[in-house]
Amino acid sequence: MFCADPDLPRADLTQVGIGWRHPHYGELLATRPDLAFLEVHSENFFAEGGAALEVLRQGRAQYPVSLHGVGLSLGSAVGVDEWHLDQLQRLVAQIEPVRVSDHACFARGHIHTPGGLQPVHASDLLPVPFSSEALDVMCANVQRVQDRLKRPISVENLSAYIAWQSSNMGEPEFLASLAHRTGCGLLVDVNNIYVNALNDRLQGVAGDPVQRCKDWLDAIPAAAVTEMHLAGHADCGDIVIDDHGSRVCDPVWSVYRHAVSRFGAVPTLIEWDTDVPALDVLLGEAAKARQFCSEVLA
Amino acid sequence: MTALAIEQQALLDALFTRHLVTQSDVAINLIAVHAYYTGARGLKAYKNNGFSLAERTLLAAYPVMAQLLGEDSFALLARDFWLAHPPVRGDLAHWGAALGDFVQHNALLADEPYLGDVARVEWALHRAVSAADRDAQPATFALLSTVEPDALTLQLASGVFVLTSAYPVASIVTAHLNNSPTLEEVGRKLRAVEAECVVVWRQGFKPQVAPCTAAQAAFMQALQSGASLLSALERADEFDFNQWLPAAVQNGLVLGARPIDPISTDI
Repeated sequence: MFCADPDLPRADLTQVGIGWRHPHYGELLATRPDLAFLEVHSENFFAEGGAALEVLRQGRAQYPVSLHGVGLSLGSAVGVDEWHLDQLQRLVAQIEPVRVSDHACFARGHIHTPGGLQPVHASDLLPVPFSSEALDVMCANVQRVQDRLKRPISVENLSAYIAWQSSNMGEPEFLASLAHRTGCGLLVDVNNIYVNALNDRLQGVAGDPVQRCKDWLDAIPAAAVTEMHLAGHADCGDIVIDDHGSRVCDPVWSVYRHAVSRFGAVPTLIEWDTDVPALDVLLGEAAKARQFCSEVLA
Repeated sequence: MTALAIEQQALLDALFTRHLVTQSDVAINLIAVHAYYTGARGLKAYKNNGFSLAERTLLAAYPVMAQLLGEDSFALLARDFWLAHPPVRGDLAHWGAALGDFVQHNALLADEPYLGDVARVEWALHRAVSAADRDAQPATFALLSTVEPDALTLQLASGVFVLTSAYPVASIVTAHLNNSPTLEEVGRKLRAVEAECVVVWRQGFKPQVAPCTAAQAAFMQALQSGASLLSALERADEFDFNQWLPAAVQNGLVLGARPIDPISTDI
């Protein structure tokens, strides 16, 4: 395993990082591999104290950290949870992350129960319609988060398993408007675009999935893109699931090359959250991303 | 209610309404008005992800319950609990607090009445992991010889939880987490319905669980409620403070002493 020269300015490295998960906490701190940044899920460090938070502090002492959330619920009609915002603000103040991000989704709302409406957070990345009303809601929520954190955040496109009839614009247009109106960055998950293209094909949508992904990327304003994500997915036959449980597949690498040619050397993350493999496997994927990036930009 | 709110509520209802578990067609109809493609399969994917997440989350917090119930029963319990007590926060580390009450009132688990308390102890261990960090302050123990006991109290460790149970809950938990006592001994205590008290705390970063006497439990519960040392001692019959304190300090259960706030509640 190659270890970073502690005196080497990390900003000079090609900006590729990995998702830092529990199985690799100790090994990564001990071996200090050559990475531009570490990504962690913000919610995993909302604790007041404890070992995990201490490990993150140690990681932060060695690497820039990108705080990636899964629970802000930026698209919820009921708004962002004040409690969640409090926790995130505290974590951001402690860690001073290089980027803060979450998803263009909703999870908060209410359900009907025999006793009346009950609040719920679905703990999932549920899609919103690409409609003017949903855009207004998401802009307001993103603005509220940015005002609280006093910094722009980045918002990630989803892999979605249902779509809404009320959508009246495309996803790229929705995201571009979101970025334009709020000043937020866009976090482009290349695998999510491809998963959606594969599921579209299962529903009879015509066209080559890779080309459709490239068309999607071409409709995104390059200046707004602050980070890209790469991951594996699971093809279940009747549906493709974004499970972050395998290597990045060749078609996604192909789409990534197109993304790099469009957006330049924006920071890229290798995500792996299910059946997390040995650290060297993630580092190998990171090296591959770095290589593709270098080839495209050469 | 806005159109967006109606759409979002329909999807959340489809994912969490209990009767939809066995009537998935109803769930699909609920969002069919709003969703056009992959509705059935996509909805199933979200539901299954929720159930899987519920099982993984509860397994992390309740490893002893999982061992006691077995894999299949624990998965069913997680699914039922997910629907009955869905998360309300975006941090799942906070989800699961009600499992103790849930299993205690579950008719299918009525033959295992100790499970509620086992779950309560496990939840305390789970929360202790992320409790605020507190350092020991050994120099403050000098206050014990200079300040009257009605004017000082003890600083307990982070994450302290004390439970008085009608069942041998401390033995059940430690047998599964620490292999002590033996499962045979736990079985004997269960058949005899031996009551036990248990204390949970965090030593450094490591959550700890141990049996304690009823007097020790009463003493620590009094301290937790803000009582002075004198008042806490008065509430603990047959409690040998001088014998208990050195071990409690050594185990990180007591971190120091501090003058009591004169306006604090000392009932």
